[in-house]
Amino acid sequence: MTAAQFAALSPLVVLAIAAVAAMMLVPLARLQIVQASAAVGLAVAAALVLLRIGAPAAPMGALFTDDGPARFGIVFACLVSLGALVFLRTGHPAKEAPSLLVLVAIGAATLVGAGHAATLFLGIEILSLSLIALFAFRLTRQGLEAAYKFLVMSGLASSALLLGIALIFAETGALDFAGWGGRGALTAFGTALLLAGLAFKFSLVPFHMWTPDAFEAAPASAATLAGVVSKSAVAIVILRLALTAHLPEPVWSQGLAALGGASVLIGNLLALRQPQLPRMLGYSTIAHSGYIALIIASGTPHAGEAVLFYLAIYAPAMLGALCVAAALGRAPTLPDLHGLMQRRPLEAVALSLSLLSLAGLPAAGGFIAKLFLLRVLIDGGLWVLVGIVVAGSSLGFFYYAKFFTAPFVGHTHDESQPLPQLDRGLLIVCIALIIIFGVAPAGLLNVVTATMAP
Amino acid sequence: MALIALILLPAIGGLVAFFVAGKGERERWVTIATFALMLVLLIAVVATGGDGRWYDKVSYPWVPSFGISLEFAIDGLSATMIALAAGLGIISVMASWSEIRTQSGLFHASLCWTVAATVGVFLSFDLLIFAFFWEAMLVPAFTLIAVWGHGDKEGAALKFLIFNAAAGFGLLAASFALAAMADHMTFSAFELAEMKLSTPVQVWMLLGFSLAFMVKLSVPPFHAWLPEAHTLAPTAGSILLAGLLLKTGAYGLFRFAPMLFPDGLAAVAPYGIALGAAGALYGGLVACGQNDAKRLVAYTSIAHMSIVLMGIAAGVHYALAGAAVEMIAHSFSASALFLLIGALYERTHTRDLRQLGGLQQTAPKFAAAFALFCSALLALPGTANFVGEALVIVGIFQVNWVFALLALSTLIVSVIYATRLLKGLVFGLPQPKPPLADMTWREYWPILVMGIGTLIVGLYPQSLLALLEPAIKAALIHTP
Repeated sequence: MTAAQFAALSPLVVLAIAAVAAMMLVPLARLQIVQASAAVGLAVAAALVLLRIGAPAAPMGALFTDDGPARFGIVFACLVSLGALVFLRTGHPAKEAPSLLVLVAIGAATLVGAGHAATLFLGIEILSLSLIALFAFRLTRQGLEAAYKFLVMSGLASSALLLGIALIFAETGALDFAGWGGRGALTAFGTALLLAGLAFKFSLVPFHMWTPDAFEAAPASAATLAGVVSKSAVAIVILRLALTAHLPEPVWSQGLAALGGASVLIGNLLALRQPQLPRMLGYSTIAHSGYIALIIASGTPHAGEAVLFYLAIYAPAMLGALCVAAALGRAPTLPDLHGLMQRRPLEAVALSLSLLSLAGLPAAGGFIAKLFLLRVLIDGGLWVLVGIVVAGSSLGFFYYAKFFTAPFVGHTHDESQPLPQLDRGLLIVCIALIIIFGVAPAGLLNVVTATMAP
Repeated sequence: MALIALILLPAIGGLVAFFVAGKGERERWVTIATFALMLVLLIAVVATGGDGRWYDKVSYPWVPSFGISLEFAIDGLSATMIALAAGLGIISVMASWSEIRTQSGLFHASLCWTVAATVGVFLSFDLLIFAFFWEAMLVPAFTLIAVWGHGDKEGAALKFLIFNAAAGFGLLAASFALAAMADHMTFSAFELAEMKLSTPVQVWMLLGFSLAFMVKLSVPPFHAWLPEAHTLAPTAGSILLAGLLLKTGAYGLFRFAPMLFPDGLAAVAPYGIALGAAGALYGGLVACGQNDAKRLVAYTSIAHMSIVLMGIAAGVHYALAGAAVEMIAHSFSASALFLLIGALYERTHTRDLRQLGGLQQTAPKFAAAFALFCSALLALPGTANFVGEALVIVGIFQVNWVFALLALSTLIVSVIYATRLLKGLVFGLPQPKPPLADMTWREYWPILVMGIGTLIVGLYPQSLLALLEPAIKAALIHTP
């Protein structure tokens, strides 16, 4: 192994050491120290990637890719996991949660680098298994239900994925993405199964059922990991498949477009009448997965940039909203949010801005992400998809606006604890990112353009 | 730099108002000072004289790889609208002095941000920046209605937001399609106007833009959001909605339709005039049947904005001048009436015309003010509204006399609703039982200023027309 190869793999090594260390420290140290060790691991792994900005991609063989999107994905996974670690409150004496959280980050970091079926499967399994444990961590009825649902459906999705890979392999004789292609019936069928397996992880309709339950019952941090970290990693791997594999065309692009379009419409429709903030956010992530799937399905030249741009704008908004949900205790409903502006102005502002961004209104970042999405679709002349996006977003205004107003009207009493300093810091970072991305997006755009440059 | 400052000033003023709110009236004074500073800055910009077409024109890169730049320009039309924005901002603060007592910081911040975004609309010549401000104004305006409104305020606010935000997609999609047809990536309206597009393409693009403009202008059948939003909003919200937000629709149509799609506009102009005539009749007739004074004025807004649409679609010099004057005249008359009705509501807790009356005996200042602005509502000669409507109708006569007769008939309807409002409030038996406190100075001065404005424009319209002339010339599509 050359030094360049080792440098490219070092973030994964560091993350693995951090996960083990966090696990070993459980019987020895206080929760804070366990969390700190996980945080250090995540920060060092992100730093190791950032240090290599500008370095040429290391030749890694078939299993692992060291290109721009992979590096972006690792940094993204580490930073969002770091954010999720801040409000990881499981309400349970066991201290294993930080270690599981790092495991999710490892899964994501593996997945974003996948250029080969083995890595793809490995990454997805690491992600799913650690997420199941996190969903069930509270040992409540709803938590167990969400975890169980996810376990069964995830098993099904994994088998579909494996069978898909096997069918494609049977015809093409290749396991690396670049070798996949052709027009055979087996490949076409395999592609459909592959897509179904990935769509489950990406929570695209009709494989979305687990998402709202998980958002409602799991700790908000686990929801962040499922809704942002894991999802973004899957988005990047779908993007790589679209860019490198030559999967049979009508199945791949139109299948992805159909799944994406259905998610945009149905996700937004189902969110309309949700009275619970985390559940609403769960449906909202389904819709956002749909937007991202549409970008990839468009196959236009700027699709790669648009996906990364969308992810970067989506992350702080979802992180902020879920952090507020965590601060308000279990599953806050609309009436729980009343009067939040007077009781807890920082949380109210963070929540409102996050929702504004998710709704895609200026001056929040979401507006710029929506612009990029529309541009990509219109460049491809895909007016049907434009219509779907317009219909979906217009529906979205309704429920985002309902939750947007709630903090400013009425009064409610609450006895929950004041927010710790770290959470406040995280919320301020989210607010700053949402506004910066919304008002001066050129910097982020340069980053994603540089990332996608060959 | 001055143009960016015009937008940043209220944006930052809003933040300051938000953070200084607390004891005393600090946030109110901060907001008034912000708008006053804006007016000073605006006068400084206009005083430079400019090059005959533009007082100032700047362009800074924003997202170069997308071809988006901060392209701002100001001419007489923009300057008038911005002066209106700042002036109505001050009036809104004064009108809500006693009405708004909860979360005053956020309220004044929302006022400032609404004004900041509308000023952005009046200055932007990059289509995406225009769309940015176009959508941005919805959020603080939504907050104003949803938080401080009356009755089913959240429903009304949601309707307002969803109608306008969804229609905004028409603007966005057409802008992208337009940019995709250009030889290089640009959203600059000046550069896109140079393109020679075929008439059918222009019509499609124009329809995309018009969707956004018509909903904001609330021309029937795109008006469903307006009656509730205007009626249930707090007084300041109604003033800003009627005086400012509706005008952004008129402004967008006036500025961009002839500039970007001259052939397309000429092709659909007859339909535009017909839609406007139908809308004016419809709005007027529905207004005649209202018992809620605020709702009545809301429907008259629909009628007046339809007249503006007719003027723009007619595309001749008289009609365009009339449309521009009508925009400003309607801002004065509708805002003043909303302020007066809001002030009356604070005292009597009713807006029902059947439960009110006799103001001429109980509150003569109120009665005089209502008399003046009801006359403006029916376009009595001497008021600015007369100038606007008369010019529009003269212009339409040059294009098509059938439509002109229709437009004339709307004037008859306007007499009915205006006298109904006047009779219900000012004459008859004093209701509710006196004593009724007359106007305070905070209500009196805004009314006085708007009244004098209405009369000056009404008696000496050249004062305004000279300022607007370059913009009117640029919007001509026919030269008969």
